[in-house]
Amino acid sequence: MSLIRRHWLSVVAILVSFVVFVIPFIFIVLTAMKDKRQSALLDFSWPEKFQLWENIVDVITTRNWQLLTAFINSTILTVASVTLLVVFAAMVGFVLQRRRTRWNGLINFLILAGLMIPPAIVPTIWLLQAMGLFAKLHGLILIEVAYHLPFSILLYRAFIATIPKDLDEAAIIDGARPLDVFFRIIMPLLWPVTVTNIVVQSVTIFNDFTNPLYYLPGRGNETVQLTLYNFQSQFNTSYHLLFTNILLITIPPLIVFLFFNRQIVAGVTAGAVKG
Amino acid sequence: MANPTSRAYARRSTYPGWFFLPAAIIYGVLFLVPTFASLYFSLTRWSLFSSEFIGLTNFYQFFEEPFLVQGLVNTVIFAMITSGLKVVLGLLLAVLLTSRIALRGYLRSVVFFPVLVSTVGVGITFTVLMHPTQGAINVALELVGIDGPHWLTNPSLALYSVALVDVWKGVGLATVIYIAGLVAIPKDYYEAARIDGSTPTQSFFYITLPLSRPATVTVITLSFIGGLKTFDLIWAMTRGGPGFSSDTIASIIYKQYQAGFYGLSTAGNVVLFVLIALLVVPLTMYLNRREGHE
Amino acid sequence: MAGLELKAIQKSYGAVEVIKGVNLEISHGEFVVFVGPSGCGKSTLLRMIAGLEDISAGELWIAGKKCNHVEPRDRGIAMVFQSYALYPHMTVYENFGFGLKLAKTPKDVRDRKIRDAARILQMEHLLDRKPSQLSGGQRQRVAIGRAIVRQPEVFLFDEPLSNLDAALRVDMRMELANLHRDLGSTMIYVTHDQVEAMTLADKIVVLNGGVVQQVGSPIELYQRPENLFVAGFIGSPKMNFTEVTIDSINGGQVTVSGADIQPTELSADTTGLGEGDTVTLGTRPHDLLADASGNISGHVSLVERLGNETNVSLKLRSGATWLVVLDGDRELRHGQELQLGIEDQKAMIFDAAGQARHMA
Repeated sequence: MSLIRRHWLSVVAILVSFVVFVIPFIFIVLTAMKDKRQSALLDFSWPEKFQLWENIVDVITTRNWQLLTAFINSTILTVASVTLLVVFAAMVGFVLQRRRTRWNGLINFLILAGLMIPPAIVPTIWLLQAMGLFAKLHGLILIEVAYHLPFSILLYRAFIATIPKDLDEAAIIDGARPLDVFFRIIMPLLWPVTVTNIVVQSVTIFNDFTNPLYYLPGRGNETVQLTLYNFQSQFNTSYHLLFTNILLITIPPLIVFLFFNRQIVAGVTAGAVKG
Repeated sequence: MANPTSRAYARRSTYPGWFFLPAAIIYGVLFLVPTFASLYFSLTRWSLFSSEFIGLTNFYQFFEEPFLVQGLVNTVIFAMITSGLKVVLGLLLAVLLTSRIALRGYLRSVVFFPVLVSTVGVGITFTVLMHPTQGAINVALELVGIDGPHWLTNPSLALYSVALVDVWKGVGLATVIYIAGLVAIPKDYYEAARIDGSTPTQSFFYITLPLSRPATVTVITLSFIGGLKTFDLIWAMTRGGPGFSSDTIASIIYKQYQAGFYGLSTAGNVVLFVLIALLVVPLTMYLNRREGHE
Repeated sequence: MAGLELKAIQKSYGAVEVIKGVNLEISHGEFVVFVGPSGCGKSTLLRMIAGLEDISAGELWIAGKKCNHVEPRDRGIAMVFQSYALYPHMTVYENFGFGLKLAKTPKDVRDRKIRDAARILQMEHLLDRKPSQLSGGQRQRVAIGRAIVRQPEVFLFDEPLSNLDAALRVDMRMELANLHRDLGSTMIYVTHDQVEAMTLADKIVVLNGGVVQQVGSPIELYQRPENLFVAGFIGSPKMNFTEVTIDSINGGQVTVSGADIQPTELSADTTGLGEGDTVTLGTRPHDLLADASGNISGHVSLVERLGNETNVSLKLRSGATWLVVLDGDRELRHGQELQLGIEDQKAMIFDAAGQARHMA
């Protein structure tokens, strides 16, 4: 009886999930394979002529290799800001968790504020301009670091709390100087949460649309998310190229998902419970 | 060797205060300074080069101009719908995906994957799928004899359609948070309840629901704040249209910025900030207080 | 010579004073045990010697050098932690060698020292393992090995055996005693377990409330505790106490009696005591005998028959419960009345201030 019910439920769940969650992706792939004329029908049909490769070449070379530039920009943005995030957040998380000072209350408040308060856009642009960082990739890198620090710090602090303070002290007795304790003892032990941090923040920053839109305008400055936006507005009828582009920028998160699903889930749930 | 009167000492310098510095400088300069500056600039007519103090005019506008008022209302509706649906669907999916169901791993992956996909990509895809005549959704509905609505072109529906897509993309996050909460509930409780004669439905209401409360608090807070700030999905799907029918504060901030009304745009930021503070702070206090009583 | 000297050492956190002026001399090669109930300050004192806690006032001298502000690594100490604090990401070999590596010891010297220590602890075959692959006892030995490798003048142990099960604890205790004999280094050992203290120590320091109660050899503390606290803390099972009144004083002899005890003559230092004074009489459970003509009587409330001896809880007239350990097996009933005598006058008198009045 309950066996029947369980199977019935499984079948329904699999069907529904397929229709709701899988079909949109199939639609993306199919449309990316079609030619311009068929893709404009927007329908869910089998491609008459497979030209995925031509479409990919088209998308990459169009507008003076814009997508390639965008991939390079997005890669630099992601790698640089995640590197800075990991190092700076681990440092803050370590001292914040280990040392009780009168600053702790203020710092915790600022972390929560950073998670809640929407960034003030135009004043930030004004400030970036004043510092010569507006429409500069390194300016955006620093912005991403600033906006994502609170979440990374929370992840690190929660994890550092599970590392006994005895280890620090044993290292001190063994003759470790202050930086030795952090770099030789704590940092290696933080590896699991560092992986989580890298994966979660990479996906977030790679997918970021809003901040590049505001802070990194201009030809040659596009990140991959903005190429989509450009396609959408400029090539209103080239749906095959638009969806090829979507397909291409979905591949990096897909790879990350296949290899690091566990770390991502650990990151979003651990950070979420704390936040 | 340390000087005898100095307080500098191994134990203290093991946790050096300057470790805060890099993070503090970046966060302080690029986040805190603009936040405080916004409080002033929201009171000005501003062109980046010069600003003229005009008091609360920008804010009056926000509560008088119909399209701005609608944006305000839309923002709250959008946040409430998306967070409400994410809580309900997330919990149900989590219960389903922690039960002994076939292909559980596949189902969890499929539900979670949209969380990692580009929001703009999702927005564009669904804009196409929701096309009133050619879109796959309405074509499918037609097959079963339903005349599908104009999802994104009907002004009274556009906001809700975008909200549905937001739920589609974000429910996976709510689900994994709930799954983490559910697997932390000891099996003993369910066994004890069964021995006490509890039906599965009763177990859900008397055990699962109250004990997954921390996860609920997290999901509500996260998705409510996220909902209030939503920009990219709306921009990718409707640009706030038709008319101003699906504008939210975040899209208004962008539009005013593009139009050069920097003071008004910044006032939008302050309004959004105040709105989050007014709604989220009492919400979390309420949720956490209830938790304390249980 | 690696003796230690603590001169009026104090530790306070804000207004709270946890170590209230400790004076102590430890000579080279001594095995000293700090013992006391939890919160007595014994661990804090050890951590101050290690350099993990600041010294609020007073002076710490190690091997003739004032060390108040010397970094831990320069104090010539090594420490074994209660949790072992092994570096989880390093092998046993790397755990042993970490201190030497930080001190930039040449690789070949390092390797020799690590292998020497491993040989002493008979764990050469475990050098490539990570701590997570070791048993509790093995982890304990790694922690000790890490200390040995540094060849310190002073070993510090912070409750090192408290995470082991009972059988292993006895083994490790003997091993530590052997280690001390073989290395001949000064060792300072913190524990709340008075059996460990009694078996390991050359000298025990009993602490309570941040104050040294008594310093002495284990047998000294057992036979001549200086005050009520030490008398109650050292010895297992605990000493029994009852309030009595002095009936008469005759030179070094006093006669006392009380609610629980008929007039009994004991030898004591009577200086300053007068007839009619209330004092406390203490006697150890092993020093009581079943004696039909004894001075103490009560009702049996609990009997534990262990075969070689019998533990009896006795409810006295005042309501106090005494524990008595009788030789051999006794068949006693619950509620039965039992008469006891004190063997060879083995009872102690403590004055109103709690100070013991032993005969000089």
